[in-house]
Amino acid sequence: MSDKSINISDVVNLPLDIKEQKKAIEQKAPSVVEGKVKVYNQDNDNVKQLLEMLKNKLNRQSVISLVGCVHCGMCADSCHYSLARPHDPTMTPAYKADQIRQIFKRHFDWTGRIFPWWVHAKTPKDDEDLNRLKNVVFGTCTACRRCTLNCPMGVDTAVLIRLTRGLLTELGIVPEGVFVVSKDQWETGNQMGVSQEEYIETIEWQEEEAQDELEDPNFKIPIDKEDCDFIYTVNPREIKYDPRSIGYACKVFYHAGESWTMPSWGWDMTNFGLFSGDDKLGGFVAKNLYEAAKRLRAKRIVISECGHGYRSTRWEGYNWAQYKQDIPSESVLTTLIRYIDQGRIKVDPSKNPLPITYHDSCNLARSGDLTEEPRWLLERICTDFREMYPNRADNFCCTGGGGALSMVEYKPLRMEVAKVKADQLTATGAKLVCTSCHNCVDGLNDLIKHYKLDIKVVQILDLVADAMVVPNKNEKK
Amino acid sequence: MSEFLKVLEDQVQIVALIFMATVYTIRLIWMFRFKAGKEITDSVGSRRVGVAYSMMNVVMPWAMESARKNLNFYAQFVIFHAGVAVAIAATFIIPYWPEFFEITPIMRIFQLIVGAAFAVGVIRLIRRITNPSMRIISTPDDYFSIILMTVWFASGVFAIPNEYKVSEWPLIIFFSMTTLFLVYVPFSKISHYLYYPFTRYFLGKTMGHRDVFPRKRGGEEPAGL
Repeated sequence: MSDKSINISDVVNLPLDIKEQKKAIEQKAPSVVEGKVKVYNQDNDNVKQLLEMLKNKLNRQSVISLVGCVHCGMCADSCHYSLARPHDPTMTPAYKADQIRQIFKRHFDWTGRIFPWWVHAKTPKDDEDLNRLKNVVFGTCTACRRCTLNCPMGVDTAVLIRLTRGLLTELGIVPEGVFVVSKDQWETGNQMGVSQEEYIETIEWQEEEAQDELEDPNFKIPIDKEDCDFIYTVNPREIKYDPRSIGYACKVFYHAGESWTMPSWGWDMTNFGLFSGDDKLGGFVAKNLYEAAKRLRAKRIVISECGHGYRSTRWEGYNWAQYKQDIPSESVLTTLIRYIDQGRIKVDPSKNPLPITYHDSCNLARSGDLTEEPRWLLERICTDFREMYPNRADNFCCTGGGGALSMVEYKPLRMEVAKVKADQLTATGAKLVCTSCHNCVDGLNDLIKHYKLDIKVVQILDLVADAMVVPNKNEKK
Repeated sequence: MSEFLKVLEDQVQIVALIFMATVYTIRLIWMFRFKAGKEITDSVGSRRVGVAYSMMNVVMPWAMESARKNLNFYAQFVIFHAGVAVAIAATFIIPYWPEFFEITPIMRIFQLIVGAAFAVGVIRLIRRITNPSMRIISTPDDYFSIILMTVWFASGVFAIPNEYKVSEWPLIIFFSMTTLFLVYVPFSKISHYLYYPFTRYFLGKTMGHRDVFPRKRGGEEPAGL
């Protein structure tokens, strides 16, 4: 493998690209003008700023993870980067976390302050060092948290990676993709820059499709309808690239006799703040959604299939926004289970006969609470479900997590380390891989194409919609 | 027994222990000055169960893939830390309850455990030096700590019989090492046992709250309906 392997110094020394930042400044992008998205300024003392911000951002949890590592190296076997590149010790999660740990030790920890060389404590010298730090934390880790769960000490390396990303984001020392997506999400409320018109048009298009499919010309996708059972929030990828999933949702909700709506603002349940480490962006996006539910007096928030979207909306968002969870939020998986369990929809597993496996999204399995729900559903909607090993919280990242899909400069490395996932998929012998995450759909599709695998990616909602036994009109009456 | 050895076994150890405890107290105060992040969401699981599960992780090698797949490494971990416990116990038994080591089988068991820990220390040191992934993350403190522990175990093997009438040197070396150990530990990675309850507590609290801990092994009914 090492013959074809990427030279890691090419990745770590990738220069800081600020073309998009310059463009945004020239165009007076509102988020930049208002200082919501930070741009790189080479005249600033960025190292000093980073140290000041680090001081303010440290909390007890991060400090304990910074001091708790014993360098036992057990994390190396848990990281897909490390497993796919056994010849490259810089892929060891402890090494990646050490990049911020060294700075912490030099400035906040007593041994490191007095005898820095003894514990390898150090200060970044200049912006070049900060740029290298950027390439390590954004380019060589998807913050999947697999090493965290495999650390005997309980050191949360993913938290340290996010902490570092957040510091660099505040300095504008970020991959171009991170800058662009953050800017879009600040300015449009969604991370793909989908305009209000585009959103409404797509919903209307799906409404028409659903009317044909359901043979009901009166079917409507309710927008901003008040007092519904829930607001349905989606990933902008569904609006922009894969609106079929909204169609599937329509079909299921229709037959379940659901009272639901989609908000015209606050519909994006994804959150780039999770990836960039920007808690302010995280809080802004999450609050949009919580406020939409409140405004429309919905009884709950239902989150479509997305790992990081679920984690951000159900868990982290309330903390970032300091928002009281007065309206419950749930994954659409929970909603689907309720429908089947209560007999509101009927499913026939023989409609999905192909061998299928399930890929656990990192954010659902390791940072959320959803491992059994998808399996409960798959056992009822497919005839040949095969577990992938390892699975649940031990599963490997699709390699597109942590915002990696938006950082094209790191794609060659991402594809190299995707070998671990490709081998996992191949071993199942399945023809379909199901995942409950739009991010994973793209991550898996990338590696399937790269490794030329004979397997197709599907989502649970697609399968439920396909497996549904639709009563004929008379039966329904 | 010489007066020097008597003082070294007793008063010197007490002073070193007080020093260590003082430094640890300062360290904990420093740590608690950092504000704890708060989780304000409604829980799905139980924080208490999550914390308990996380804390017990150390005795559940099956619960963590890194331990499950490296049982040899886990066994080394158990032996090494058993050696630490036994060697520490020896530092109290020798001066305050010497007759305990006059029971030969017990004394031999202590020697065996500390000797096995010494062997693990050597293996760990070799691993740290030869494995590139280990080398890249290792600091002088990491090397010194493992060497210190390994030499301390070796000295313990010879000191445990407590035969000061034959020669005081094994005891002098062991207790001198113990003094150095007590003074150095709070500034080194060896003090990880002080942090362990906190790292595991925070991880357990977060993961228990979200029902990720206890880890699911399959078969459970989905929650949250």
